[in-house]
Amino acid sequence: MIKIKNYSWILIFLLSFAAYAQSSQFAQEEEFVSNFADKAIEILSDESISENDKTSRFTNVVMNAIDLNLISKFVLSKTWKNSTDEQKERYLIAFKDYFINSYANKLDQYSGEQVQIVGSEAAGKYVIVESNIVREGTDTLKINLKWRLINRDGDIKIIDLNIEGISLVIAQREEFQSFLANNDNDIEKLIDKIITVSN
Amino acid sequence: MKYRILIVLFLSSVLVLQGCASKEASVNYNNSETEIVSVNDPLEKVNRVVFQFNIIFDKLILRPIAVTYRAIVPEFVRNRVTYSLNNLGMPITAVNNVLQGELRKAGVSTSRFIINSTVGILGFFDPAASMGLVSENEDFGQTLSVWGVESGPYLVLPFLGPSTPRDFAGMLSTSLLDPMYQVGGGSAPDSLRTYRMGTGAVDFRSQNIEILDDLQNNSIDYYAAVRSFYSQGRESQASNNLEINTQDQENDIFDDFDIDESYVGPDIEIIYD
Repeated sequence: MIKIKNYSWILIFLLSFAAYAQSSQFAQEEEFVSNFADKAIEILSDESISENDKTSRFTNVVMNAIDLNLISKFVLSKTWKNSTDEQKERYLIAFKDYFINSYANKLDQYSGEQVQIVGSEAAGKYVIVESNIVREGTDTLKINLKWRLINRDGDIKIIDLNIEGISLVIAQREEFQSFLANNDNDIEKLIDKIITVSN
Repeated sequence: MKYRILIVLFLSSVLVLQGCASKEASVNYNNSETEIVSVNDPLEKVNRVVFQFNIIFDKLILRPIAVTYRAIVPEFVRNRVTYSLNNLGMPITAVNNVLQGELRKAGVSTSRFIINSTVGILGFFDPAASMGLVSENEDFGQTLSVWGVESGPYLVLPFLGPSTPRDFAGMLSTSLLDPMYQVGGGSAPDSLRTYRMGTGAVDFRSQNIEILDDLQNNSIDYYAAVRSFYSQGRESQASNNLEINTQDQENDIFDDFDIDESYVGPDIEIIYD
């Protein structure tokens, strides 16, 4: 047992070194995520602004950082291509409201958590920046966040957030696909449902 | 006791055999034209009924307990409970580390249990982590996945929630593999197990009150959302062990939708209330 323990120390040492060495690979992208987190946290922890103001400022920061059009198309998958321009437009507007509504009026739940960047790696044509959120009141209970970024000649946008192995975009996509499968693949019904839920 | 071991062996062998057989069967499934992401849920109709039942159970019993728990128990104490639950799971993790051939990880898990149970005062604190001893929880379902058992179709179990045949078998066998159950055999380990199951449910639920409320209220299809969360979560835990980079597989999903850049979309003003 003592031998195993010694090995594990060496392993942990090597692993922490590897994580350290890796962390500067995509400096630009890492800085982007850490800037985004800083800006968002600054708004969230500002006690002096009203709830509405908070939502509006937060939305501004989020909308500048993510590629919502790309996300909207991705979660609709094949149905996007089979839709008319009029349907696409209605859907994009509905999805945007739905997206904002998912966090609006809940921003006061923030309680001082901090985002720590751990490292980054390439994933196909995307870059994934890994970070941790430390649960308040502890130093060891962590939530793992992976940001998927697309970098178009220096114009960086977030296209997915993966929380503890769960990709929010993939989950949203599976949800929409399931709804469509149970509703004759009718995008009109999906749009109506999205509008109902966001109100 | 012997009877229970037989059940586990039987279930495991059935699952291993079925895993071999299902590789062929799954080919047809992926050919379906309407779905790009194939979701393995042939029992969806039954699952949805059980899911509705679980929602009612949650609404009437589990959620109220979790809300009360969070309201009356201070955060410091709740964090201690989370730590002690993690600690009680360590022996199971260590056994599964061994079964997965991960002896180094088994060493870390065992050291964690010993250090945190003593220095960490019955596991209420986590000094092992500050010594660099960090490990992920492992259960027998994950071990079965390392052994090549396919997860099988998605299942929603009454009271217990999302699962698969593999994870359900893993859950049944976990108590048999738990060293605390084997060594003690008496009433002390039993009550610890009850503590872990009951308190574990409340601990988990109380950490997710807002998240699950939001998910339920803002879902287009709550059932599908939970199914996706469960499947993705289990898959990512399994891929940690398999040492296959599922990143490639995931990228296929992201790449397979070829991005239609021709339609830029309207310039929508941001409106909110």
